[in-house]
Amino acid sequence: MSYLTVKDASKQFGGSVRALDGVSFAVERNEFFTLLGPSGCGKTTLLRSIAGFADLTAGSISLAGAALDAVPSHKRDIGMVFQDYAVFPHLTVAENVAFGLKARKVPATETATRVAEALNTVRLGAMAARLPAALSGGQQQRIGLARAMVIRPKLLLMDEPLSNLDAKLRIDLRDEIRDIQKSIGIAAIYVTHDQEEALAISDRICVMNAGRIEQIGTPQEIYADPRTIFVASFVGTMNILPQEAASHLGLESSRVHQWAIRPEHIQLDQGNVAPDSVRLAGRVEKYTYLGREAHVLAQTPAGKIVVQLADPAPSLRMEPGSAISLAFRRQDILSFDSNGVRLEGRGN
Amino acid sequence: MRVSFWTLVSIFAWLILIALLVVPLGSVLLSSVQDQAGSFTLENYARFIETPRFRTAFLNTLIIGFGGLAGSLLLGSAMAFCMARIEIRGSRIVSLLAILALVSPPFIGAYSWIVLFGSGGLVRQTLMSWGIFIPPIFGLWGILIVFSFKFYPYVYLLASGALANINRSLEEAAESLGLTPFQRVMKISFPLVLPALSAGGLLALIHSIADFGTPRLIGRGFNVLATEAYTLYSAEVGSNLSMATTISIVLILLSMFFVFAQRYMSRRNVYHGNLINKPVKKKLTGFPNIAAHVVVYGIALIGAMPAFIAAIYSVRRTSGPVFHPGFGLDSYRRILYNLADVVQNSLTFSFATVALIVTIGTLIGCLVARKMSVNNSLLDATLMVPYVMPGIVVGIAFVAAFNSPPLALTGTAAVIILSIFIRRLPYSVRSSASALRQVSPSMEEAAISLGYSPARAFMKVTVPLILPGIIAGGMLSFVTAINELSSSLVLYVGSTATMPVRIYIAINDGDYGTAAALSTVLLVLSSTAIYIAFRLMGRDERALL
Repeated sequence: MSYLTVKDASKQFGGSVRALDGVSFAVERNEFFTLLGPSGCGKTTLLRSIAGFADLTAGSISLAGAALDAVPSHKRDIGMVFQDYAVFPHLTVAENVAFGLKARKVPATETATRVAEALNTVRLGAMAARLPAALSGGQQQRIGLARAMVIRPKLLLMDEPLSNLDAKLRIDLRDEIRDIQKSIGIAAIYVTHDQEEALAISDRICVMNAGRIEQIGTPQEIYADPRTIFVASFVGTMNILPQEAASHLGLESSRVHQWAIRPEHIQLDQGNVAPDSVRLAGRVEKYTYLGREAHVLAQTPAGKIVVQLADPAPSLRMEPGSAISLAFRRQDILSFDSNGVRLEGRGN
Repeated sequence: MRVSFWTLVSIFAWLILIALLVVPLGSVLLSSVQDQAGSFTLENYARFIETPRFRTAFLNTLIIGFGGLAGSLLLGSAMAFCMARIEIRGSRIVSLLAILALVSPPFIGAYSWIVLFGSGGLVRQTLMSWGIFIPPIFGLWGILIVFSFKFYPYVYLLASGALANINRSLEEAAESLGLTPFQRVMKISFPLVLPALSAGGLLALIHSIADFGTPRLIGRGFNVLATEAYTLYSAEVGSNLSMATTISIVLILLSMFFVFAQRYMSRRNVYHGNLINKPVKKKLTGFPNIAAHVVVYGIALIGAMPAFIAAIYSVRRTSGPVFHPGFGLDSYRRILYNLADVVQNSLTFSFATVALIVTIGTLIGCLVARKMSVNNSLLDATLMVPYVMPGIVVGIAFVAAFNSPPLALTGTAAVIILSIFIRRLPYSVRSSASALRQVSPSMEEAAISLGYSPARAFMKVTVPLILPGIIAGGMLSFVTAINELSSSLVLYVGSTATMPVRIYIAINDGDYGTAAALSTVLLVLSSTAIYIAFRLMGRDERALL
């Protein structure tokens, strides 16, 4: 049996709004598991149900072999990190971290060592005596992390912990969280709506939409092998083309409803593409230079297509209206049926 | 366990409201539609409409209400504009003076104006000796002057807050679109502060209508509904409770009408701006600068004048009610020997009231802020009723309800404590609810996830965080409680007289020395409470409203 199991979890708010609709998954010990989805997809409701702050309408949750359903939240032994940090402003940094140890009646000397250790792990050792108000958002979230970990919980829950931080800090802290989780070896469930963050931090990702699971898989599977059109378009960027584009792509379209291809799988045809490539003529509509890469928006008979150019030459000019030729391999094209479900294999 | 606790709080809250609000109000209503035999009649209302004396009082109430509103708006908005947009030297002192005006009980104001501008008033006599005749301050104009200088802080505090919150870019945008400075004020700034002006004006209006001490002391025959109700109730011969209750109902309806009218008027005018670009204060020079300072300091000093007069007159030498040249502590000595019980009453009642308000107000505040339900919204709405009830009406209502068994409370200390408690409860519930809304629910959840039961998490995390706000709110309730006159005046008996009641009696008896000394004691106690409140929650004058 898995470490954490969620079975047929459903949550219905007053009326007919289904926040969760029969969600089941399992998380292993030491695993970093991410719930990814747009706001309102039910990921936070799910996390709060695991923490015990929300009751499920139906379904069950078990942790380390014991059912959680009848256990009140304060006895679940689950650490939680909050989006708004929820650092206690009337306690010092050290007191914040010691807060959970007090409830567990840990002896004073042991508390002191464990708090110091936890603060060093999150690089706040020098701030122990300060009040949180004097600290930055990133530092406050580190307190939240230390506070949740120091009680050595059975499970660590994180509810969009980085969404209130600025971009650079977000990347630094996300790497730190990942390192700390691996070093102490704890099962973690992480909620985010940021697909890049999910790819960077997770062992496995569970993509959710409208209260249901779209796909569970490793970051590689989610990105390269999306099972639904929702996952394909939510994670990374994707060119989505209608069924009618088939004739221009040299494809058959019996059951296919939509075609999809990633911008980085399309090349500009400058005579150096593989002979079996699909070629498509078009005109430049917009050229966006981003330094490390550039995006060309092309108008083609199959529809508008974005092409990503890696390491574009600074001298490269693409005037709107000028003719270009796009090329891509047939196996990079994904096809989806009218329910948005992926059709068999690649390049069918 | 937790659910049932909050259900209990909810039941308890409704019991309080039924006992202290619904029953008294019901008694008032019942008494106003009953004849001597106890059968239904609208006779009292017919008499109210027919009797010229009551019609005059009704009209007079409207006159002083709108007069007080106009005066407060004029003074308050002038001061707000100067303070928010012009650099005024010593602006801290100015806002302290405004607070002093706000917390000194209105009857002290009336008294001080009499001391200076009454028939034998100091200023009036001096001017007369120079050959300048001014009429004594008594009558309508006296009331309006006192009200304007007493209630302007409501408008000032709200409007200056709103003015300081207008994004400067808005005015700059208007300027860049070609509006003249005058057009800019009329088309941008004025509409944006209008909600604050009307809210401040409403407070001035409601307090003017409800005030009993000022028209009683300075009106001299200018009768309003509040004074008529009291006269009818307290007349030694032919006390007419049913007519007094009829007038009470009229007063409540009038206040409610104005509250709803203001709500209706400003229903669409809620603006949420960002404050990226804070307005700056302009530095004036020359005549405009002097004019602005004269306006600001003039209003502030005249508004705070009653407090100073009371302090000065309290240390003048007296023998009995007569002032003698020179200074001395005779008046304080008299308080110490003869009126210690009154001071003690005031303190005991106020502390008891505050204790009740803080505990019950906080519990109901938590209920309203955290446990959202139809029931609690209704509770919140019902709590608005005491807010519009003039003190004199609360007093009469309590007499009507608690004069006979099973709840024969008249003449006890409890009835005075409860009357102040129910009037102040709405403020306390609101302030603790808003303090609680500042605390993110995830704070409590964090504690729960760390192993604290919900009750312990509330005690360990939420309570320490809202405690400063609660104590500050308690201090402000203390200020209201200790200065309360009108309901106590109806409800007191010899042994339960409070300082304000005693001051009122002393002024009526011409014993100005005692009145001044008692007033000074009141002011010192109020100022101390406000100082503590501001220390705890940061300086926020608007919390006083």
